[in-house]
Parts: sequence; structure tokens; C-alpha cells
Amino acid sequence: MKPESRGSAAKVAEPPSPGALDCLRAIRRLMALCLLPGCLHVGTGAAAGAEPVVYRLKWLQNSSTVGDLYADVHGFFAARGLSVVVKPGGPERDAIKELELGHSHFGVASADQVIRAAAKGAPVVVIAQIFQVNPLQWIYRSNRPPIDALAQLKGLTIGITYGGNDETIMRTVLAKAGLDESDITLLSVRYDFTPFYRGRADLWPIYRNSQGIVIANRMAQSGEPVRFFNPADFGVHFVANSVVVHQRLIDTRPDLVHRFRQALLQGWQAALDEKNEARALETIARFDADTPPDLMARQLQVTRKLVRPTPDFAVGRLDVEAWRQTEEIMRARGLIPRAVDVVSRLYRPGAP
Amino acid sequence: MLTRRIYQFLIVYAAGLALLLGLKYLAGLSDYVIPGPSLVWQTFHDVWGRYAADTLDTLTVAVLGQVASICLATAIGIVGRQTTWFGNFVKVAAYNVQAYPIVALAPIIFILLGDGFITRLAIAAMICYFPLLLVVLGVMSEPVEEIEHFYRMTGRMRWQLEVKIRAFENLHKLTTVVAGSATLAMAGTIVAEFIAANAGIGYSIRIALYQSDLGKILIALFLIGISLSVYQALLEWAGTLVHRRWEMVEGGAVP
Repeated sequence: MKPESRGSAAKVAEPPSPGALDCLRAIRRLMALCLLPGCLHVGTGAAAGAEPVVYRLKWLQNSSTVGDLYADVHGFFAARGLSVVVKPGGPERDAIKELELGHSHFGVASADQVIRAAAKGAPVVVIAQIFQVNPLQWIYRSNRPPIDALAQLKGLTIGITYGGNDETIMRTVLAKAGLDESDITLLSVRYDFTPFYRGRADLWPIYRNSQGIVIANRMAQSGEPVRFFNPADFGVHFVANSVVVHQRLIDTRPDLVHRFRQALLQGWQAALDEKNEARALETIARFDADTPPDLMARQLQVTRKLVRPTPDFAVGRLDVEAWRQTEEIMRARGLIPRAVDVVSRLYRPGAP
Repeated sequence: MLTRRIYQFLIVYAAGLALLLGLKYLAGLSDYVIPGPSLVWQTFHDVWGRYAADTLDTLTVAVLGQVASICLATAIGIVGRQTTWFGNFVKVAAYNVQAYPIVALAPIIFILLGDGFITRLAIAAMICYFPLLLVVLGVMSEPVEEIEHFYRMTGRMRWQLEVKIRAFENLHKLTTVVAGSATLAMAGTIVAEFIAANAGIGYSIRIALYQSDLGKILIALFLIGISLSVYQALLEWAGTLVHRRWEMVEGGAVP
């Protein structure tokens, strides 16, 4: 069970000088021990017999992470002999760096993070793609005509986070539409929605399944219904969050990777099953006390469509074409200096 | 003074960089976690012009913010030196405002004032004014009895004179804290830009963080350090100059 190609990744992780190999290995072991406070901490608190694992999310614990939380709370990890600490993420967290530093065993990272890391030699491997449709979309008021063609973006004021992957996506959309920066106005996005509320921006980036529900609800209450602009509807498939692991763990503990992946995906599958909706909502509510239950239920419905587009869809499937396109987009936008063959970083269970 | 400041900074920066690189090679970390020397150099080559302009932009706001904070701290210090109810009230209010972390207030400031120049200036001034205020309050509340006694006894004491005597007697303390607060002004501006502005080196650092690019952050830190060293050296030099001039012109006596 190895990724299609791991040669380049493994090569980067190896020490440069064969002569000093033993010495470096010894020092690295020592460093690894120093760099593993999280894992050691987990080890002391883990249930007897269960293997301690640290799993770093990309963002806060809410409906976007329902499967991760469900797998933990409802014993999917425990059933496979794992004692998993699911740690919330945040803007200052980078799961890939944590994997390399040994602070986490598994993590969630966006596709652009994975590709940037691969371009800099990080031996990262994607073991599951949670979101099949990117939840990063743009909200706009319904009082303007629906955007059915990309040419309709001309003349609009569009919010983007400079440096964020919404900038990359929007610039790709604009390139696809044959528009350049003089045809539209770009507005820098901050943490608050004030420019959108005040009408300074026509389109504002938003996470469709979390903020999108809350903002749409708030605007509907003030008599301003909204719509969402989804780049995927226009052929721009930029992969969103995925579960990642360090190549070292695949090499040394393939069974652990296999058990974790199986438990996690089963957790997601169960959490998105309509039959388990009440339990899933109850699970989210334990971690997200600020979202009202009705909005949470709507967030879960939207998350379900983004993660499992059809009822029989196998959660976690790696959309190879979308990954390829994501790399091409980043390459075209100059965000990576050279091709990284990201497909070789995708985990293939059962591959030789 | 300037050369000393710069090479002291270079030593600290080089030591920090060496530590990072040592960690990188010992733990076998990729360039994604800690960039190697060639990548850092390449990044420097790619971004130094843009980042230098951003740093100058930030420094300009920091300098103006510091001037604003000096004026504010002086005004509050002069009013707060009085042992009256109002003087006490001003002192307590100034302390209470400082109790709120700026990162909690910054979003409110940004929502009210937008993400332009005024907001960055306000946050820079707010961050660096408190240490100035403490020193100004301390200096202004402490009578210089041996001099003030004479003026009081002869009925010539006015508040302007009192302020002048106390400032003169503590000039070294005041110039030291002004030079020191430059760091805070710069840090305050960078925090403001990082949180929500659209310009400056703090904003560039935020973008670099989005892109997980430690190389760019190291370059930004280098430019911030250099510009701050130059600015602090200039402040120290100006402080020495003022001190000498007061002593020479007034012959050491308060007019």
C-alpha cells in the first residue's frame, strides 16, 4: 500500500552525506524525541492497548469536520485499536509541517498546501480527499441576475484573499473567462463581511457549507436573499481539504495508516448517512456550541452534497483529474516553480 | 552608533538563521518546513525590492504613530501628574484602556475606520504609547524638590515650568524610552497590517503565511530588523543631540 511513486519524496528526506549517515540518524532520533511532545503526551493519556495517534484538522471543529468527529466520538478509531486526539486547526496551523516535525501523525491540508509542500521536497502523501466539491465559493445577492456565464463577471467587484487559494481560484476563473484585472475590481478580503454587507463588493468568498449558511440566513432575514457562485460549475476544479500523512509513516507503519484511513472514512460515511443525522448533529453540537441547531442541520445537508455528491459515492475518493488540474492551475499562476507530479503523491491502497 | 546597531542586529539575525538551519539539517526537514540557504537567497533575490518598499511603508506609519503616541502620552502624563480627582481619573482610565489586548480591539477599529492608513496609525500609536505614558507619568509625578522649592517659595512656579524642570531632569530617561518605544511602534504597525490592512510588511507577512513560505518571512524579518536598527540609532542620536544642546544653550539651568 504505497503511493504510485514515492521515489522523489523519499529522496528528499534522506541525509545528504552517506559517510555521516549513522551519526545523523542518531541525532535525528534524538531530535525526533524532542520534537514529539504532542505524541508523547498522547501516549501517556491513551487508553490501555490503544495506539495513540494525533490528527490535526485544517480548521475549527464544526460541520465541515463532522466525519472526523464522528469517527472519534462513536468509536470507529477505537474499534481499530487507535486512540486518536482530534486537534482543531486554524490559520496559524499547518498540518504538513506538523507531520514533518513529528507533532502529528495525520493531518488535513488544502490541495494548494500539498502541492506547495511537494514543490519544496516535503515527503507528504494524500490518503483521502474528503471534499469532492470545493466548499470555497462566492456569495452574491439575488437581486442581481444569476451568473450563468463567466463573462457576466465583467465589471463586478470581487473579494479575494491575497495569497489565499481563493485568489488562485478566482484568477483562474477570470483567465478562463478571458477577463483581466482591468475588467473587474478586486477587493482585499479580511476576516469580516462588512464590505459585502455594505455593498462594496458584489461577490465575496465564503465557505459554502459553514459560513455560507450563516451569512445566507442573516441576509435572508434582512430581506436580501443570496446565491452562490461555484467555480466548479464552470470547469474550475480546485481540490479542497484532504487527509495527509508523512511518507515515513507509510514506509514504517503501513498498517497504522491503513487502520486510520479505514476508520476515518467509515466515520465520514456513517456521519453523512441520513439515518444517522440526529447523532451526527449531536456530535457536532458537542464541539460547536455557537451554531444554532437549525443552521447546523442545513450545514450538514450542504456538507453531505460536497463530500458525497451521490448517495452511493465512496467517501474519500481521490479525484486524480482534479488534482492534476489543481497542479496545472498553480503552475500556470506561477505559484510553484516546476511540475511536482502531484498524482504520484496520492495514496493507492493495494498498489504494489 | 548606527554601525553598532546594525552589526548587533546582524549577529542576532545570523544566530537565529543558523539555529533554524541547524535544526533543518539535523532533523532532515524539507524546504517546506525550513528553507535552505539557496532558497532563502533565491527568495531574497525575488522579493527584496517589493518587501523593502513595504517595510518603508510600515516604518513611515510606525514613525507617525510613535509621534502621535508621544504627544498623547505627554498630554496624559501632564494631566495625570496632578494629585486631583481628575488627574487620578485620567491615570486610571489610561491604565484600563491598556488592559485590553490590541488584537481584541483591532477588529473593532478596522470595522469602524476601515483598513487604511488611519487605522494602522491608530493601532501603532496605541501599542507604543503605554510604556511612554508610564515613564512620562513617573517623571511628571516626581517633584524635583531642590529646584522646584525655590520657584514655589518665590511664587514663580507655573505648570509649564514644572513640566519643563521635571522633563529636563529626566531627559535621559525620556529619550531612552522614546528610542525603545520605536520597536513597539513598528511591532504595533505590523500587527495592525497583519490583522487586516492592505499594505505594509505585516500584510506581506500574512500573504507569505497563507502560502506557507517561511523564506519570505525570513526576508521580511531581516528588512524589519535593519530598518528598525537604523531608526533606533537615529532616535538615540537625536536624543544625545537634544541633551547636549539643552546643556550647552541653557548652561544646565532651566530658563
